Amino acid sequence: MITINEVTIEIAGREIIYDYSEQIPAGSITVIVGPNGSGKSTLLAAIAGDLVPSKGTITIDDVHPALTSAPHLATIRAMVVQNQLYSLGFTVREVIEMAGDAESIIDALELKEIAERHVTTLSGGESQRVAIAQAVAQNTPVLLLDEPLAAQDIHSRKRIIELLQKLAEGGITVVVVAHEQEKDLTWADKIIKDFK
Amino acid sequence: MKRYAPFLTVALIVIATIGALAVGATHIDNFWSELFHPGRNEILWNIRAPRVAAALLVGAALGVAGLMAQGACNNALAEPSIVGTSAGASLATVIAILFGVVQVGSLGAIACGVIGALLATTLTFKLASLRSGLSSFALIIVGIAVTATLSAVVGISTTMVTRADARSISFWNFGSLSLVTSNNLLGILITAVIGIAVAYAIAPALDRLSLGDATAFHLGIDVARTRRLALVALSIAAGGAVSTVGTIAFLGLAAPHIARFIYGPPHRFLVIQSALIGGLILVLADTAARTVAQPNELPIGLVTSLIGAPILIALVAMRNTTWRTQ
Repeated sequence: MITINEVTIEIAGREIIYDYSEQIPAGSITVIVGPNGSGKSTLLAAIAGDLVPSKGTITIDDVHPALTSAPHLATIRAMVVQNQLYSLGFTVREVIEMAGDAESIIDALELKEIAERHVTTLSGGESQRVAIAQAVAQNTPVLLLDEPLAAQDIHSRKRIIELLQKLAEGGITVVVVAHEQEKDLTWADKIIKDFK
Repeated sequence: MKRYAPFLTVALIVIATIGALAVGATHIDNFWSELFHPGRNEILWNIRAPRVAAALLVGAALGVAGLMAQGACNNALAEPSIVGTSAGASLATVIAILFGVVQVGSLGAIACGVIGALLATTLTFKLASLRSGLSSFALIIVGIAVTATLSAVVGISTTMVTRADARSISFWNFGSLSLVTSNNLLGILITAVIGIAVAYAIAPALDRLSLGDATAFHLGIDVARTRRLALVALSIAAGGAVSTVGTIAFLGLAAPHIARFIYGPPHRFLVIQSALIGGLILVLADTAARTVAQPNELPIGLVTSLIGAPILIALVAMRNTTWRTQ
């Protein structure tokens, strides 16, 4: 379970999130929605340990991400950033293997055809799926995804959602930032909005 | 190609080394016989062999230093003579020599070079990340500015001094292996080995750093520590090389790019191959420097610039998938 307790987050002196509390249940899919600039990504980054709240605490079970070393944190949560850019020409398989075993996730996200391609040659949607594959390969109890569906076609969206559902059924806590209409979020177990 | 390429580099180094030992101002009679009797022929073993060994070590050190600069900055253009490392090593060494504290090529000079390299590189990184996070663009601009400033101070201080050794200092400053004796080898060997060992140890972290700071952190990499270690490896390797043989431009840029082009981006392999290719290029360049204009000797920095700069242009002009610049 992820516990957000009276959290205030400021970036460059501007308050993005103020005195916010929430609980995210384990083994489920929670989707964070809201308009641009509402702080969705900021909240996710704080859970990932990228940002330190100026007030309040965030815990993943008993762990404080902001106080945990990078190697230890990487065994607890994986995170997919919004725009993954690749500068060096590793192959798709090599990039996924930086996080863990690649085979099963390459099948699940239908990456077999591009597995030996250089990541520098991928389209935006392909890059995003490789980033998702890498985070899943990290095999952590918490999986955080910042707009994983943004650049995907209908078929890939369906594939990704199915994968997230399967992971949640297996006990993994999935938190997704999305730009969807609430009515389209039938796959979410919990929706977070209005968290200012 | 990829499978046999590692052996190709080693084979080329062996051929280039033997060639470098064989040619020069003086003809060596019965070269092959002398080659297998270490120490017998004075010119071969006391003059050429140390110089060729120095070229291999310095080339290896600069190749790996360039790889560390590029890896730490996630920037295809970074190299010791661009991010201020070489100029810092130069300045610290020149000051120590002019004040009579150390002699060219001594372990003391190497220590000064390493410290100067470390300070200048740190200065570049601090200045480049003053206003926000480390941006590639700021890093290169600031690096060029730091290099220019420190190099100017080196030029001014060597010109103001009228001592006899000032001329050799200014020659050294353009890069030359002609002053190297077997006494200098130990120092460059130590710094090259330490630099390469640190580079090898952090290679897997540098692979992940290429995905960006955020993703590297998510994968469990301590980004600040990795970058610091890369800068230490860069400064030790380049500082030791520069304080002994002067600034040799473009080698640190060209060697890792050639290695990456042939072998792909995983850093473990690149550390080894950048060292081998750096050594190979410098042996070839030094052999050219001392033979094309006999009896005059060309500053080796000019020869490596002549080889390295076209590679840089080709790199910018060619679209390749080994490095995408954002």
